[in-house]
Order: sequence, then C-alpha cells, then structure tokens
Amino acid sequence: MTSTVERETLDVDVLIVGGGPAGLSAALKLSQLQKRTGGEPLSIAVLEKARETGAHMMSGAVLDVSALKELVPDFLDRQAPLASEVHEDHIYFLTPGGKLRFPITPAPFRNHGNYIISLNRFVKWLSEQVEAEGIDIFSGFAGREVLYDGDRVIGVRTGDRGIDKHGQPRDNFEPGVDIHAKVTIFADGVRGNLTKELQRRFQLGAGREPQSFAIGIKELWEVPAGRIRPGTVIHTMGYPLNTEEFGGGFVYAMPDNRVFVGFVSGLDYVDPMFDPHVAFQRFKLHPLVRGIIEGGQMIRYGAKALPEGGWNTIPRPYLDGALIVGDAAGFMNSMRLKGIHLAMRSGMLAADAAFEAVNAGDASAARLKRYETLINASPIRKELYPVRNVHQAFGHGFVAGFLYAGIAMVTNGWWFDRMTGHAGQDRIQTIARYYTRRGRQVPEGATQAVKPDRQVTFDKLTNVHYSGTRHDEDQPVHLLVHTEVCESICGPEYNYPCQRFCPANVYEIVTEAVGNRLQINASNCVHCKTCDIMDPYQVITWVPPEGGGGPQYDGM
Amino acid sequence: MKIAVCIKQVPTREWQPRLNDTKTWIRDQDASYEMNEPDAYALEEGLRLKEKHGGEVVVCSAGPARAAQVLREALARGADRAIHVEDEQIGAADAFVVTEALAAAMREEQFDLVLTGLQSDDQGFAQTGVILAERLGMPHATIIMEVQAADGRLRVKRELEGGWFQWIAMSLPAVLTIQSGINQLRYATLKGIMAAKKKEIRKVAAPAGLSARQRILKLDFPEKGKKTQMIAGGPEEAARELVRRLREEARAL
Repeated sequence: MTSTVERETLDVDVLIVGGGPAGLSAALKLSQLQKRTGGEPLSIAVLEKARETGAHMMSGAVLDVSALKELVPDFLDRQAPLASEVHEDHIYFLTPGGKLRFPITPAPFRNHGNYIISLNRFVKWLSEQVEAEGIDIFSGFAGREVLYDGDRVIGVRTGDRGIDKHGQPRDNFEPGVDIHAKVTIFADGVRGNLTKELQRRFQLGAGREPQSFAIGIKELWEVPAGRIRPGTVIHTMGYPLNTEEFGGGFVYAMPDNRVFVGFVSGLDYVDPMFDPHVAFQRFKLHPLVRGIIEGGQMIRYGAKALPEGGWNTIPRPYLDGALIVGDAAGFMNSMRLKGIHLAMRSGMLAADAAFEAVNAGDASAARLKRYETLINASPIRKELYPVRNVHQAFGHGFVAGFLYAGIAMVTNGWWFDRMTGHAGQDRIQTIARYYTRRGRQVPEGATQAVKPDRQVTFDKLTNVHYSGTRHDEDQPVHLLVHTEVCESICGPEYNYPCQRFCPANVYEIVTEAVGNRLQINASNCVHCKTCDIMDPYQVITWVPPEGGGGPQYDGM
Repeated sequence: MKIAVCIKQVPTREWQPRLNDTKTWIRDQDASYEMNEPDAYALEEGLRLKEKHGGEVVVCSAGPARAAQVLREALARGADRAIHVEDEQIGAADAFVVTEALAAAMREEQFDLVLTGLQSDDQGFAQTGVILAERLGMPHATIIMEVQAADGRLRVKRELEGGWFQWIAMSLPAVLTIQSGINQLRYATLKGIMAAKKKEIRKVAAPAGLSARQRILKLDFPEKGKKTQMIAGGPEEAARELVRRLREEARAL
C-alpha cells in the first residue's frame, strides 16, 4: 500500500534526525559555520518525534557546561535554564538501613562548576536558539526508515500518519515524507531505531565491544521546605542492588524545594526476577531518601535507557552520506554519569565534518571520516579513553569494578587496552539456573517487590500517568513482538521478564483459559527503549509510533 | 467566506494537575499546554468550509505569550493568518473577559462566520462563543454537528439530548460553537510548517479596563472515598445479603 502512495519530498543540505542536545547542537553549529564563511545559506532540517521539542527529554541531570560554553558563549545572558549551580557533592555507600559517606569525593564525582538542569527545559531553550537561526525544526515527525542509494544514505522517510489500528489508512491519512539530504546526521538517541538499522546493515560495531545499557528511572518532587539545600548533589552505591548488579541512585536539589530523585540500574543484571522499578522504590524507601521526600509530592515520572558501555563500544560513527552523534553512538561517560556535554560536542564535531563535506560536494565515508579524526583529537576522547573499561570491569562484580575504577582514575587508564564485555542482556539467567538449581525460592512477584504506599512509592501505572504519556489509540502497535516466543520459550525460561523490565506497564501477561497471552499496552510506552534492549530473545523491536505521541516530560 | 476560528490554549489532559497556593487555579509552572481539542475541530471545520467556498481562515486567540504556540500550530495546519490578543492575565480569565478581548480585535475584521469549539477543556463553561456572538452582534447556534453553507445562508445541525438532532437555518454573519468529533482532524505537513513561518501573527494588546465578572473561590479535587463493604457468610447467604443491600441501600436493583 505505502509503496504506491504519492509522497511529499523535501531536499535539504543537512538533515538531522532527532532534536535532543546532540542534534540541536549540530544544527546550531552548522549555522554558526555558515555565518563565519558566508556564501549560500545551507538548508538544514531537524526531525523530532515529540509533539514539541524537549517533551521526550529526560536525564539526571548535572550538566558539565564545557561544550555549551563553546557553542553558546553567552549562555548566561541568553538565560539558559540552569536550575542551580552545584554547591555540594555527597557520595554514599548504602546499606539496607544506613549509609557510609565517602570521606573524599572522587574526582569524577566532583561537580564544582556544573549545573543541575532539567534537560527538558534546557533542550526547549536550545531549540529556541536553533529556530532563531531560521532552521526548521519539524516536531511531531519520527524518522521511520533510512533512504539509500545503493549503500549511500540519502535521507530519511518519516512515519505515515493516520493509519488505524488494523493498519488501514483513515480519512486523514498523511503519508510519510521523504527528506533527501547530502548529509544525514543521526541523533536518534539511545538505541535509536534508525541507528540500530544502520549498525546492522553496515556492521558499524565490527571490532568494537558490544554496547551495554542501563535504565534510569526518575521522579520530580516538591518536598517540604528545609529538607535539602538547593545545589546539593547526592550519589549512592550499594543498596538496594547486590554486588552482582551495577547501578546507583541520585538526588539533585533545585531551588523552590524541587528535587530530582532517580535510580539507574544496569541492564546487565543476572536475576530474571529483577525489576528496575522495584529497585527505584526501594531506593526511595531508604532513610536517606525518604527523609528528603516524605511528606512531599511527586510531580512527574519518567524512564530512559542510557548507553553505559563507553569508549570501546562506540560504533564507527560515519558512513557514506551519514554521521551518528550523541547517545545513538554511545557518547556517555558512565563513570561521571554524564553525557549531555559529550552529546553536544559530538553534534558540534559532526556539524564541522558535514559542513566541510557539503561545501566540497563530497559526502563519502572517506571524507566524513574526518568526524572520527575530530573526535579523537577532542576532549571526548580525552575524557572517555581513560575510563574505557570501567563498565566492563563492573561486569565482574561490584568489588572488581570499584577497584578497577579507582586504578583507572589514579593512573589515567593505563591498565588493559581493552577489557572485553558482554552485551548486557546476555547476562540474564533463566529461572532454573538462577533459582531452582541453586535451591532458591522463586519470588511470587519481582525480587524484593514493594507494596506501593502511594505516598513515597507508586505502582507503574500510577507512575505512567505522571509521565504525561499519550498516543493516539487508533494506530498499529509500535512494539513489534514475535509473541510465539513468549509462551513457548520466554515464559517458562524467564517467567516473562518484559513485565518487569518495562517501567511503564506496557507488557502484561493475561491468563486465559487456553493459556497465557501477552497483552501489549502500547499507549503506555514512555519511549525508554529498554524492551528493545533487554528482552532475552531479542524478539521485541521498538519502532516509532505516530509522530507526536509519547511522554510529556515537562520539567524533567 | 471570511472565517474566524477562536482557539484557546489549555493545559494538557494527560497530567496530574496541582492547585496553586490560594487553591483558586492550578499551578501553571508545572503545566504543559496544547490546543483546546474542541477548538481543533472548529479549525478543521473552518478549513473545510474555506476549501469548499473559498475565502480565508483567521485564527484568533486571547492569552499570554505562550498561546502563540497554538496559533502557529493552526497556521501550520492551513489557517491563513492569526490574531493574538496578548495579555499575561488572560490565561485563566472568565468568558466575559476573554470575549471582550477577542471582540475588540475581531470587530473591525467583519467576519462572515465565526467558529469556536463547544467548550474549553480547562474551564468548560461553553460560554465564549455565545457571549462573543452577543458582543459582535451576530446570531449564534451551539453544539453544531454539521455545517452547510449556500447563498449567504447556513443550515446547521445541532445535537440535542437523547439522540435527537435539530436543523436550523440562519443567515450570515453568524457564530457557531462546534461539537468535537464533527470531522477528522488533519495533520500539519512539513510544507505547512514551513509555510506557517511566513504567515502573519498580528499581536494586539487587550483593551484597557477588563474586569472579571466571576471569581473562583475554591478548587477541590473530588474526594476519593473508598467504601468497600465486606459481606461475611457462606456463598448463598452472602449473595442474598448482597442483593438486599443493592436493592435497599444502593437502590441499584
């Protein structure tokens, strides 16, 4: 059907897929380069799947302003929404009822000169800077497939709109648009659906370590006055995770008694009954956190996967006609828990390479390789290379990881050129292996499940309501699942882990007379991508729903 | 036909609102905003009438600076130009104030047809269209399910209670308040979004001396009363007791 419809087409010089920090920094940098050199203005288009820019943006977040300083030197005058400068850093190792404070704050955790931000607000502001340059940002348009000429990327087709849940066009059917570009910059975020396709087709990860991911779950709270000083940053390790699990919690305090509370769980856990949302609830119940938020009000909820693998897992980020930036490529420092500045810088460097390629009339991989050269000479490599093995070391357990992180820090990363890691989801064990054969009791629900009190802890469905998520109900399910695997293999072996790793109650097992059936509540989806990553049989594929759908992360 | 469509920017529905300190409105710093859905149907109807009969569609909104977002969205969908009566206080104002602000800017335009949504998703008074008609000196009809225009006259279908409809013939100019679901909303296209940038949004100051006719004394969330009654005893006995309570106490049977 879709091959015969007449499509709108648009030709631009540079197309940027994804309006996050990486994509918008690329757009802004392109227009700056253009101004500096003069000549014909470039046509630049930015695609963003959210209804408005920033709506799908969620991060901790503590911003290292190094890249922002270069991109928008007068960011303070332009009133960049930086909620609070960081005044205090605390790191704790949590035990079930207590805490050990680290006597010194290790350098990667020192946040002097950094700012606590709402990434949603920050990206909205960044998009205003981009639009002020006359660049078109098309929000509500998702990149659905990559367009090729042979093996050269020539642009992107956006998703069709107005398809009903049976796959039939409605009266208001609007076919996707083919946007052709000399250079396409993929900034489609962590586990981006288009970048994933490119990686497979062109083996961009060949010779690299497999990517590892984590999931971050966060709430915005308003707490009673006087609980925590604005500008305070708290990071925790230990409880509620055990030593085989990677992750930790954070509390960031902003003015007006607003606090971000969040928990990051590595998506390389072993226990098939582990649930990251439960870990987050447990974290909130710990006296350290509870003492801050109890009696307050939860305002928003969100969840997002993050690429934790580091330097050695970054795929080849250039190909004929295209570049990959930001989280899509994995530019994140899991040791410092920061990636926004790296995303921005990668976007800026990609802009540099794309600008040169467009002007030279040559967007071949050979020319766009300059992007990689620029990265290697930039603060990105300087920051990521020394800690390249940290996440992989944590794969050997908390103690090994912690020791390695310490050594890497002190020695600036001389040890091991490359430590091998595993794709995170490969570590999950079957019920038989993790429980039955070791004589362990399989828990009834998720491991350490918490009965929500609706004061401090919540169930997933309540949380989803606070994420502002909305999708047009009359559209095809955007989670493509080979459901035949669910009951025959995955259920018996792993006890339907999708119910637990999804933080938004999208996957629900309904017991019927004939057996168990997977029900997909697609309209709950907060676009975190965890299912696409974590499902043990890799039978879930996340594709973008109709443009404009998804969470509304105001203030997150 | 020169058509005006009045559009309000309202807080999104997929959100848990919180009250402000005086409990008279929601805390707007937490809110995200969108086009009032009934107004989106009014816009679509306006665009369809223009496509059929020619003319222009002018979208009008009274609200703070942020309301420009819904006007831009309407321009991207195909409206020709926009009028924004900009005033920071007008976001949560009553229909009396909103219509005075709108009418002052709209009067000189001499519209043939003015469309509004039936009601707003935030306050839901369903009064803006009605009071605006009075101020503009035009006849009006409400809860419109279908619009037929010919020879300077209208035939409109109104929704009544209990599955009944009413057809009304009226002359132009007129004001209609449009019921949601009357049509299927179109999407903004890329070309539409690009074209919208070049379209005019005329900013107008609100007339001086606007004063509210109504004041919200207090907002409350509906109380969630959990009144589960447990019925003891064996199945037969419990069933009998259940029927008794349903009949005598709940009066549901």
